[in-house]
Amino acid sequence: MKLSLALAATLLAAGMTAAAADEPIKIGYAISKTGPFAPAAHTQINTYELWQDQVAAAGGIDVGGKKRPVKFISYDDQSDFGKAPQIYEKLITDDKADLLLAPWGTPFHFAIAGILEKYQFPLVGNSAASVTIREIKPGNIWFPTSCIPDRMATELAKFLVQQKVKTASVTTLQLPFSLEVKKYLMPALEQAGIKVVVNDEYAPDVKDLTATLTKIKQAAPDATISLSYPPDSILFIKGARELDIKAPFQLVLVGPADYFFSKMFGPNLDGIVTMGHWSPHEAKWPKAMPFYEAYKKKFNEPPDYLDSALAWMSIEILEQAVKTAGLDKAKIREAISTETFDTINGPVKFKGVENVTTPTMFLQFQKGEAQIVWPASETTASFEPKSGWAK
Amino acid sequence: MNLSILLSGQLLASVLVLASLYALVAIGLNLVYGTMRLLNVAHGELVMLGGYVAYWGFVRFGISPLLSALIAMALAALAGALIYIAVIRRLFRSVRLLQRVESNSLLLFFGISIIVQNAAALAFTANNRGYQYLDNVVAIGDARVAANRLAALAIAATACFACVLFFRYARSGMAMRAIIQHRDAAALVGIDVDRINVQVFALGFALAALAGALISTTQEISPFMGFPFTVSGFVIIILGGLGNLTGSIFGAVVLAAVEVYGVALISPSFRSILVYGVFIAVLLLRPQGLLGRSIRAR
Repeated sequence: MKLSLALAATLLAAGMTAAAADEPIKIGYAISKTGPFAPAAHTQINTYELWQDQVAAAGGIDVGGKKRPVKFISYDDQSDFGKAPQIYEKLITDDKADLLLAPWGTPFHFAIAGILEKYQFPLVGNSAASVTIREIKPGNIWFPTSCIPDRMATELAKFLVQQKVKTASVTTLQLPFSLEVKKYLMPALEQAGIKVVVNDEYAPDVKDLTATLTKIKQAAPDATISLSYPPDSILFIKGARELDIKAPFQLVLVGPADYFFSKMFGPNLDGIVTMGHWSPHEAKWPKAMPFYEAYKKKFNEPPDYLDSALAWMSIEILEQAVKTAGLDKAKIREAISTETFDTINGPVKFKGVENVTTPTMFLQFQKGEAQIVWPASETTASFEPKSGWAK
Repeated sequence: MNLSILLSGQLLASVLVLASLYALVAIGLNLVYGTMRLLNVAHGELVMLGGYVAYWGFVRFGISPLLSALIAMALAALAGALIYIAVIRRLFRSVRLLQRVESNSLLLFFGISIIVQNAAALAFTANNRGYQYLDNVVAIGDARVAANRLAALAIAATACFACVLFFRYARSGMAMRAIIQHRDAAALVGIDVDRINVQVFALGFALAALAGALISTTQEISPFMGFPFTVSGFVIIILGGLGNLTGSIFGAVVLAAVEVYGVALISPSFRSILVYGVFIAVLLLRPQGLLGRSIRAR
């Protein structure tokens, strides 16, 4: 009697463990599926969906040595970063998510940092960049980007000096990120001896940049630096083409990395420099081209060279951390904080919240493809001065 | 700011293109408000939908956006007529609802605008979309303008001119003006207010869709692009005078001029201050709008 009871209990326990091993783990996230940020967030959403497909095809992910299937839970934060903390709290407490993926955008990352701290829940960030990330208490959120405004400003000034640029125009959108870049860029340019001949700022709802562009055309600087977001980046590039602005160095901060710009401008995008730190053509990163191909196959267009790459990097880091640490939060935190990860963007290691291995780079479009043109240690192609506009 | 830049053809071209598109949006908005006191906050969404019709027409079927514009206008006119017949007419039949028609319409159309925006986002995905059409740059005098902006200007200006003629000489147009002037008196002289209302909705929606189709050739479209046009539309119709249709055209030119020249004179960071500053100044000094008549009891 006792033996059969013990046997039954053992079998039951074994059955439960076996079932637990096959029980899916839950991965949750909230992202801007609707609202004004949805057009910008869509490349990150696509990247997450690409991963979901791959995970489903593989039957799950490796959790501490054991393969577990994954159930994804996603919510729409409606482009409202006030909602993001509530949704992530719900994911943690109500949906009992085992792992979390990051939302889109710097304000959203900052908004959820408090919740992650409260529940001591580690999350790998991606599409966020600001000098203020260094003020976040490390341990629950990490930022893999190398496009931090102060580093970008110093590197850009060095890049311009190397290209023998003497005069520049700086036009800035009045949003936190672009203003931050300007804040560090202006002193860097002054130190480098580059004269800023046009210095304009404009509000986000601008519909026409003709006046500013006409000033730039008249001033004819060696470099035009447009610290803009996609809508005004489009206005800027269109206007620069209309007015046939001939500067050999033309930088448009945010936008060109999204394939939409290639579609919109075609060969006119060639020569434009933009922020970014990933290109599928980097031979040093063998995982880069397969990701590019997989994304292109699923979505019929190339990934966003900035947001999609970062999103995939954050997924790779999480996967590799969970593989060694399982689901234990403290072990995951330890893993992310100390290990060096192998990503599509090369090795990534964090010091505090910041990625200290990936250098700050700049991309340039050449023949429709994004190439890394700075710094010399990472280039996939040499910088080509912009040689005018297609008719 | 260099005087030569200020007087350049480049800035003038920008003002004209912007003004003509604004005018199309404003006339439609003004018509609906003037005749029925309905605040169509969803007007910008019609612009957005017109843009999508032109986009899909070009990208899927290779139809020129200028032709798609006609299709968009027809579809919008149909939609407008249907919305009037199915929803608005019922609103007018209820005396209780009629008493608060302006505030009710504000809520109603606000809700419709959110639904339409997000339905479009779900249906079309929220990505920006754009295409290259008539993309070559044309030099006129000292100005260089993209051909698609010139085409937009030409078509929008023609449409506005056609509207002016329509309101002046066509029976329906005159009837619309009569209703705007005094709805009850118009009914008394035998104008079929209900039938004209249907035409107002159809025409108002069609103009917005035309603007959207033209705009889609010059800039990117997304499901959420409509709202800034709604805001500009309201600023213009109040600036020009509520219910005053030529006032809408005038207001559109004023707004575009303030945006382009004002910014050129001072600084782009002052754009919103200038636009809304002028708006508030007009409201304070001349509340009936620049071309509006003084408010009279109805």
